[in-house]
Amino acid sequence: MMKRFSTLVLYLFGFLLIWEWIRPLEQLTDTGNVWVFFLFLCIALSMDFLKWHWVIRFVINGAIIFFSLMYIYFLDQYGLIGSVPMMIQELVDNFLTMLQAQWTSITDMFRTLLFFILLWLMSYLIQYWLIQRRQIFIFFFMTLVYITVLDTFTPYNAEMAIIRTVVSGFLMMGILAFYRQLEKEEIETKTTKLSRWMIPLSGFVLISSLIAFAAPKADPIWPDPVPYITSFNEDSDNEEAGGIRKIGYGEDDSLLGGSFVPDDTLVFVAKTEDPHYWKAETKDVYTGKGWELSEEDRGSQFFVSGEEVPLESFSENENVAVEERVSNVQMNAARPQIVYPLGIKSFQSEGIPFELNEALEKFSIRYAEDSLMPTYDVIFNEPTFSVNALTAVNNDNHGLDSAFYERYTQLPEELPDRVRELAEEIVAGHDNWFNQIREIEGYFARSGFVYSQTDVAVPGPDEDYVDQFLFETKLGYCDNFSTAMIVLARSAGIPTRWVKGFTEGERINGNGYGVGTYNITNNNAHSWVEAYFPGVGWIPFEPTTGFSNPVEYEFDLDEETTPNNAEETETPERVERPEEAEPTEQTETASSTFSLTKLWDSVMEAVRQHWKKIVSIIIALAFIGCLTYIKRGRWLPYFYIWTYKHRNKDQDFEKAYLVLLHELARFGMKRKQGQTLHSFAKEVDYALGHQQMSQLTASYEAYLYSSRQEKGIWKRNKELWENLIKATIA
Amino acid sequence: MNHKMNPVVEQVLINIDKVMIGKREVAELSLVALLSGGHVLLEDVPGVGKTMMVRALAKSLGANFRRIQFTPDLLPSDVTGVSIYNPKEMAFEFRPGPIMGQIILADEINRTSPKTQSALLEGMEEKSVTIDGVTHQLGSPFFVMATQNPIEYEGTYPLPEAQLDRFLLKMRMGYPAGTEEIELLSRVQSALPIEEIQPVMELEQLRDMQAKVKEVYVDHSIKSYIVHMAEQTRNHKHVYLGVSPRGSIALMRAAQSYAFMHGRDFVRPDDVQYLASAVFSHRIILKSEAKFEGIKAEQVIEKIIDVTPVPVQKAVK
Repeated sequence: MMKRFSTLVLYLFGFLLIWEWIRPLEQLTDTGNVWVFFLFLCIALSMDFLKWHWVIRFVINGAIIFFSLMYIYFLDQYGLIGSVPMMIQELVDNFLTMLQAQWTSITDMFRTLLFFILLWLMSYLIQYWLIQRRQIFIFFFMTLVYITVLDTFTPYNAEMAIIRTVVSGFLMMGILAFYRQLEKEEIETKTTKLSRWMIPLSGFVLISSLIAFAAPKADPIWPDPVPYITSFNEDSDNEEAGGIRKIGYGEDDSLLGGSFVPDDTLVFVAKTEDPHYWKAETKDVYTGKGWELSEEDRGSQFFVSGEEVPLESFSENENVAVEERVSNVQMNAARPQIVYPLGIKSFQSEGIPFELNEALEKFSIRYAEDSLMPTYDVIFNEPTFSVNALTAVNNDNHGLDSAFYERYTQLPEELPDRVRELAEEIVAGHDNWFNQIREIEGYFARSGFVYSQTDVAVPGPDEDYVDQFLFETKLGYCDNFSTAMIVLARSAGIPTRWVKGFTEGERINGNGYGVGTYNITNNNAHSWVEAYFPGVGWIPFEPTTGFSNPVEYEFDLDEETTPNNAEETETPERVERPEEAEPTEQTETASSTFSLTKLWDSVMEAVRQHWKKIVSIIIALAFIGCLTYIKRGRWLPYFYIWTYKHRNKDQDFEKAYLVLLHELARFGMKRKQGQTLHSFAKEVDYALGHQQMSQLTASYEAYLYSSRQEKGIWKRNKELWENLIKATIA
Repeated sequence: MNHKMNPVVEQVLINIDKVMIGKREVAELSLVALLSGGHVLLEDVPGVGKTMMVRALAKSLGANFRRIQFTPDLLPSDVTGVSIYNPKEMAFEFRPGPIMGQIILADEINRTSPKTQSALLEGMEEKSVTIDGVTHQLGSPFFVMATQNPIEYEGTYPLPEAQLDRFLLKMRMGYPAGTEEIELLSRVQSALPIEEIQPVMELEQLRDMQAKVKEVYVDHSIKSYIVHMAEQTRNHKHVYLGVSPRGSIALMRAAQSYAFMHGRDFVRPDDVQYLASAVFSHRIILKSEAKFEGIKAEQVIEKIIDVTPVPVQKAVK
């Protein structure tokens, strides 16, 4: 009776474990009617428990599945009688589809059927594990993994599920361990014994669960990876910041970070004489996580084709030489938003009304429903900035309106001090904004920052996006570089803003001269920096390694004062890495003029430079060494067998036998100093349950103590020796 | 490679077992002494079957058996024999004493005067006795099994230490276990089993075996093991006087014959360990402090066996 009861308990817990697998389905997938599966499991396990004949169980299970399917999918539509042929028809159809491996065409009904079959198998497995094998650990462990993975990577909250699983899992394992012992020792169960086992077991499990539940828990080491996964599931249009996204142009920049996957969807085709970046919008407030707008929507200004746009990027005065140009844009998708070059003057397009969101400096088309893919010409002034004018400005003489200055030098209060310190360090030695910002622009390439779209970190709740990039990851894409540059520039007091848009794209015609046709895809989505110089206007900068924004400067001043002698800001191909170059230099000097002290110095220098690496390598090696030593029982015997495989001289008998003694000692059978081999061998044989050690020892004693030396004694005894060595494998 | 008992030895042991139930160990040790030409000192109370055993041994060998009951008034000549004037022959005629036998039981040796004791002990050592200037060779084989009452008993003359050295082994017999004693009673109920014992070997055979025992190989490592053990007795904190080199020799000889008895032609450390206590314990003198603490010589020897490393490698010569 008691035994039946505890079997029932086992089944109950087994049911709970499987149930944990089904529970999340309702929340995470569009599975409905979960209660049907619940019912099915209940009945299947009950019949298992009651040990009904398998034919009966088969029929009942089949019937439940059949009627469940019918109830869910057909009953409403076709009625009781009409459903049957429909069901059969659908089953046959699906089966054929399955044979053709067209998995996507399988209907929900058939999938449900497969799921039922899976559950059926599970219920059988549970019965097998519980009753036949008396082991549930693997299933318990898998359940835990399943639940924790779901908890981590999906919105499913498994807090209670973990508790349920742990409690029922441990109870089950405890009960099963008891039964395993009983069966091993062939003990009859008596009621009292069972309760003596069960009460402390339940006590332990409950108390430890309570303690675990009440105990304080450390925060996770990694930031929650859920955003990655959720965004991965959703479309790129609907992207949530911080996840793996398809690369491309998005509007919400409040949470930056995370990896991108390339997306070469064509966005627009541009015909232009000089390739240039295409702006889409700008933002000004850095929150520590991303970009937002400082002001409410100021509404839009409307204008029509040919009308001068109400937007001025830079002043038209002696500081900026302009050249009027025309580019043509053909959008490839129905996007209201349109792109424009720096220095935009007007749009030319037939009958399309435009609007400008002044806050964002974002142009869009007031859509008529039918104009899906607009084509337009943009007329713009290509500027050449006077470096003379630019270098005249510094923190003390900019004379900017304080509201404007504050708006574009805004930084979050939580910004770590080390960012500001870094900014000061970078700009030190330059007394004007232009040289300072050029210094910041080039900082990333100089300092070994890496451009990558993958493995890009997302800042944790307490981390700053820029701080993380500057000091920890040093790896990212345009958003990282541009945002970091702005934060550094603003820290240095230079007004800057964040610009989003596209790079010039890929030229698809011609040889590089004259008017080119460029394909701009989502991969060309980009962000960069504009800095404001009084008397000149917004000037673009490109901090991202590997990119260049061709901006022309007129060098109308002494060359010395400019940090770069190039006419254009170039992509920092000229990367210098002074920090890393140092040690190589050191070693070179050491080897060229050889002397011990120098060698010593260079060694010490290398040690100083890499001490962290060295220490961690030493620790790792020590750890591996320790582990190997601790686990030597698993490999050392094999090693010895291998070593002595081809050593057949009789002298090797002695060594081999001593090795065996040593291994036996490690195994826990140590010969006492004053113990003879003969009596030791008896002990070993007693422990191992055979006679091999005595046989081997008799041979060895004859070899050791007797006068006649038999030839080949070792060869004859090798097999015995190998068996004994193998017996010491832990 | 399991070594079987030497078949002849096994027969002798079976014979002894007929009269001495469950005393195989004592019988084996006696044979060890016999085969290596040594003598045995049995320390035990009367009536546990010492005589029976020696007689069974003698009968099995077909050797003549003599028994000397030592009493306080026994004279040396009672042991060795005496020359008596024969008026008919007009000459002294030698009447051999009991020592002229082959297997001799010297019962309660510590009850007689040291003078008489030494008459026996001299004979044991020299294998000859000199009486009135005439040297008489003793029998071959010549095997003495002396018994002594535990020395705490009243009216004893304890054997001097130097004399004890003459015995190859000293052992105790002990009372038979309960069931064995019952068995003993049933056996002696109708007839004495000793009468039924038949010789199983010739004396010539015994001499042959004694010669073979000397040929049993003792490896250098074993010799050094024995010496090492002897040295330990000399340096032991409880021991006043350790084992003499004669003791080491005795142990080696005993081990040889023990190995021979077990059908081996080489000595194992096991043989040495098995015999060490019997060979050594009467050859060491404990310090009086140790005696007061109740420590026995046997215990000291056991300790020494435990700490002396057994040779498990070929000795580097």
